[in-house]
Amino acid sequence: MLKLHNLSRTYQSDEVETMALNNVNIEIKQGEFVAIMGPSGCGKSTLLNIIGMLDSPTSGDYLFQEENIAGYNESKLAIIRKHNIGFIFQSFNLIDELTVAENIELALLYHKVPAAERKARVAKVMDKVGIAHRANHMPSQLSGGQQQRVAVARAVVGNQSMILADEPTGNLDSAHGQEVMEMLQALNEEGTTIVMVTHSPSHADYAKRTINLFDGQVITQNIKAA
Amino acid sequence: MWRNYLTIAWRNIIKNGVFSAINIFGLAVGLMSCILIMLFVREESGFDRWLKDSDRLVRMHTAYIKADGPSFLTVRSAGMMMPAVRDYAKNEIEDGVRLIPFGMTVRKGEDAFDETLTMADGSFFNIFDLPFVHGDANSSFTKPLDTIISEKMALKYFGRTDVIGETLTLCCLRDNTVPMTISGVIKDLPQATHLDLDILVYLQPEIFAENDSVLNTWTSVNVYTYFKMRPGVSVAQLQERLTYWVNNESQFRDSMSDFSSDGAEKKQASDFMQHKLMAVPDLHLQARKDAGNMGDLSPMGDQKMISTFVIVAVLILLIACINFMNLATARASQRAREVAMRKVLGASRGQVALQFLAEAVAIVMISLLFALVAVELVLPLYNQALGRELTFELFNDLPMLFSLLAVALLVGLGAGLYPALYLSRYLPGHILKSNKSGESGATAKLRTALVVIQFATSIGLVISTAVVFSQTNFVKSIDVGYVSDNKLILNVGVARNNLESLKQQLVNLPEISSVVYSSEAPTQDNENSTFFKLMENIDGQTANEGQIFNYHNVGYGFFEAYEVNPIAGRLFSQNHGADKLAAPQQANEQVNHASVVINQSALKKLGLNDPQQAIGLTLFSQNILQDYPFELKIVGVIPDIYFRSVKFDVRPSIYMLNPQRFRVASLSFKTDDIPKLLKDIEEVWKNNVPMQPINLSFLSGMMAAQYESEVTEAKLFSAFSVLAILVACLGLYGLAAFTAERRTKEIGIRKIMGARVQDIVTLLIWQFSKPVLIANLIAWPISIYAMTYWLQSFPYRIDLLWLLPICLVTGALTLLIAWLTVGGNAAKVARANPIKALRTE
Ligand SMILES: Nc1ncnc2c1ncn2[C@@H]1O[C@H](COP(=O)(O)OP(=O)(O)OP(=O)(O)O)[C@@H](O)[C@H]1O
Ligand SMILES: [Mg+2]
Repeated sequence: MLKLHNLSRTYQSDEVETMALNNVNIEIKQGEFVAIMGPSGCGKSTLLNIIGMLDSPTSGDYLFQEENIAGYNESKLAIIRKHNIGFIFQSFNLIDELTVAENIELALLYHKVPAAERKARVAKVMDKVGIAHRANHMPSQLSGGQQQRVAVARAVVGNQSMILADEPTGNLDSAHGQEVMEMLQALNEEGTTIVMVTHSPSHADYAKRTINLFDGQVITQNIKAA
Repeated sequence: MWRNYLTIAWRNIIKNGVFSAINIFGLAVGLMSCILIMLFVREESGFDRWLKDSDRLVRMHTAYIKADGPSFLTVRSAGMMMPAVRDYAKNEIEDGVRLIPFGMTVRKGEDAFDETLTMADGSFFNIFDLPFVHGDANSSFTKPLDTIISEKMALKYFGRTDVIGETLTLCCLRDNTVPMTISGVIKDLPQATHLDLDILVYLQPEIFAENDSVLNTWTSVNVYTYFKMRPGVSVAQLQERLTYWVNNESQFRDSMSDFSSDGAEKKQASDFMQHKLMAVPDLHLQARKDAGNMGDLSPMGDQKMISTFVIVAVLILLIACINFMNLATARASQRAREVAMRKVLGASRGQVALQFLAEAVAIVMISLLFALVAVELVLPLYNQALGRELTFELFNDLPMLFSLLAVALLVGLGAGLYPALYLSRYLPGHILKSNKSGESGATAKLRTALVVIQFATSIGLVISTAVVFSQTNFVKSIDVGYVSDNKLILNVGVARNNLESLKQQLVNLPEISSVVYSSEAPTQDNENSTFFKLMENIDGQTANEGQIFNYHNVGYGFFEAYEVNPIAGRLFSQNHGADKLAAPQQANEQVNHASVVINQSALKKLGLNDPQQAIGLTLFSQNILQDYPFELKIVGVIPDIYFRSVKFDVRPSIYMLNPQRFRVASLSFKTDDIPKLLKDIEEVWKNNVPMQPINLSFLSGMMAAQYESEVTEAKLFSAFSVLAILVACLGLYGLAAFTAERRTKEIGIRKIMGARVQDIVTLLIWQFSKPVLIANLIAWPISIYAMTYWLQSFPYRIDLLWLLPICLVTGALTLLIAWLTVGGNAAKVARANPIKALRTE
């Protein structure tokens, strides 16, 4: 599905130059469930953002479905991104002024999907993540776990083939965390590629492979026995 | 405590540079407009209040009521009224005076100037106690021809003010020159007076003994009559006395029924002729409604314009206040934490509210400073536009200073109260724990509503401005019916004995193609009207009633020079010797004959439709040349031409040819060398009329002068409208910047969901277009209603259908402006990298 080759990302701020990613080589196949772990500040979010095309590498190649997109501009990336990648964030990032259903529908709004079909697909995905009864609530009226389920629904409603999750359970208690992990696992079993950043070894266990980052470099890759 | 507030206030002003700048600029513009308008309004409404005992001074106006048409109104009155009323109402009236202004030529040695002389009864200084520079009221104005001049006049003729005993020569009273000995010098009158006094001459009634129509008349209105009431008497009381006298005891009440030709139902004299008193301080703004078409001693003010400007000032200030409220509440979330901490530390809600109010007042005071500077800078321009000499000396002008401070305080409280209450409401626990903005949907809605009000106001102003402009241009572009290019108007009133030779020599100038005489030039408005009676019966009607028509006297070739062609019959021609109107050779001749040309309105008034039908008919009149009876044959009919301003209707008019009434010459010229033209004409003038100043004007200039006040008004109006729009847009800009900032997270999410830059820009622009659209929908009907009403006062006005495109264009324009204002911000935010927005949670 995607391949990173000698990929680096440096941040230039005032005087210091931070090497957030340093010669990273990673390949992720269609249908994989990958966890990324490592200490705070080691570059996990940076890596995820680059994979998600929200950020571009300073050097190196990024092949996404055989296409080297390392030098693409923002609008080109946006088109590839919106058809392929869904996002889940630690802080949910739902829009406070929109209802649950509207938040989910947002992901289809920019895909030229007719209104009737949008409604149907939103209803279906809400059923799937179990928040249909909250469709007309505002995000602020939901618990954290419920909010994250809305975020998951939003990430998959456009039939994205890959989901990127940056500490999706970071703001949740263990029960709710478990719930979200099971949902991700189910999605993975249906064929969705999942790349997830986490600090929790037990949540990393849901993944088939774990990549350990340290100081911007890939240290080990553990492939779980089947 | 206060120092802490001030520090925080100051730091907030600095920290939020853009917002503070918008607020201060908007409020400064609002306050500046307010001050400028206040200065003008104060001067306009303060006219004549500086006169001593001004509250006891009244002027008498006259109205002739016509049943079959518009009444004849004037601020003048008949010559016999003043002494009669004064003697009758002794208990109410202390004294009275009549003023009779005359245009005369004044000579001193070789110099000659046209001046306005004012003849006044000896009681003048009992009514108008004006300060003297030399001489005094008791000794300087006691006998006929005593002459008092203003300082300005003294300097003009003598170069000094100490001129008692000096002589000026007056030309020409009953064809004689009269020496006038100066007996006193008064201070120049301030600008704020309706009086126009440069040369005041003691009235000698004998001068007018022969001329019935000036002093010795109950009906002819040629003098300005003023009374000073006794202390404690009200205008209404005196008015009541006056009306009673007119109806019951006046010497002329019995003659009134003869005066008017119509109906028998009217019983009282006051049904035909009304005498209305008006307080002198009201004259400048109110006399217009009593003045008819004749004007006053000086240009009249316009209450409507004053009210309009006051409304505009208030609206601009309102728009600026709304900016302040909107930006303050929009930014509230940034200050929520400060409020919460203060409350945790023990501040009460009142204290917090007070702090924010103090901040608002501080901002308004800073704005006021800028506004004062701006007024100083703009005042010369403003004065030029208004033709005034308004001054602004704040520290010599305590009422102004205090009213400004009061306005500033009021604006500060008005603008600051809501934000203060809103901000002080935050509950600390809620804010500190949840890390939320505390922004509720209701305040966002209120902000939108305020933006709608702002824009509706601005749009209304723009529409009104556009309509005022269209109407002014329309009136200027109306086809007046005659050709006005390349015409000079020469006043020949003083050259009556030399008209023939003057004309000959002028025509001989190579650059002049024709010279024609008339009693008035186009744009000059004299109320000449009298009774004419059609002698033939049309369509079997029995004896015709006499009707009042307006009349002019024009010389041979007049219509030809103005390229007015007859629609029936012919114009005056020397080949028909009988056209001219002349006094009979022998006094015993029974009826005299002459020809007239009438206009289409007159045709209609005579009850005729076909112009051809009128040719050959006869009008009878006994009032046009002394009281000789005249039979006037209608020889031609011309279209309605706008002889006066198009501000008024075309009157049914009769054109005659009486050379005795010629006062002006119309010179048609064909040259581009204007200086040489003027020099040549002046040369001819000097040869023919020595010792008289030449009075020459371009007809185009005279026509433009008619609309000068309207054009000025339109310009000022649009200047203030532009300011209003500017302030409103600044507010919108601030709000857009703020909203974009507040919505960065949402925009980031939308982008990650696949929104493109243009999707985001569209989203934001639509958010701000909605209130502007709604504002348009509110402003249109209101402005259309108001402007329809305004247009009603013009006899000739733009088609009401024009209002529609004006509204549409204004709507499109405001939308465009709103987009430009918001677009930049929106694009910037839309282009930002979404991960940045989402990192900073
Ligand atoms: N916009 C930026 N400008 C400068 N430096 C940055 C920026 N974003 C990240 N960094 C730096 O790059 C490094 C990697 O950051 P990143 O956010 O990827 O870490 P992380 O592994 O996600 O950490 P955490 O577990 O705390 O989320 C850090 O040292 C960080 O300070
Ligand atoms: Mg991170």
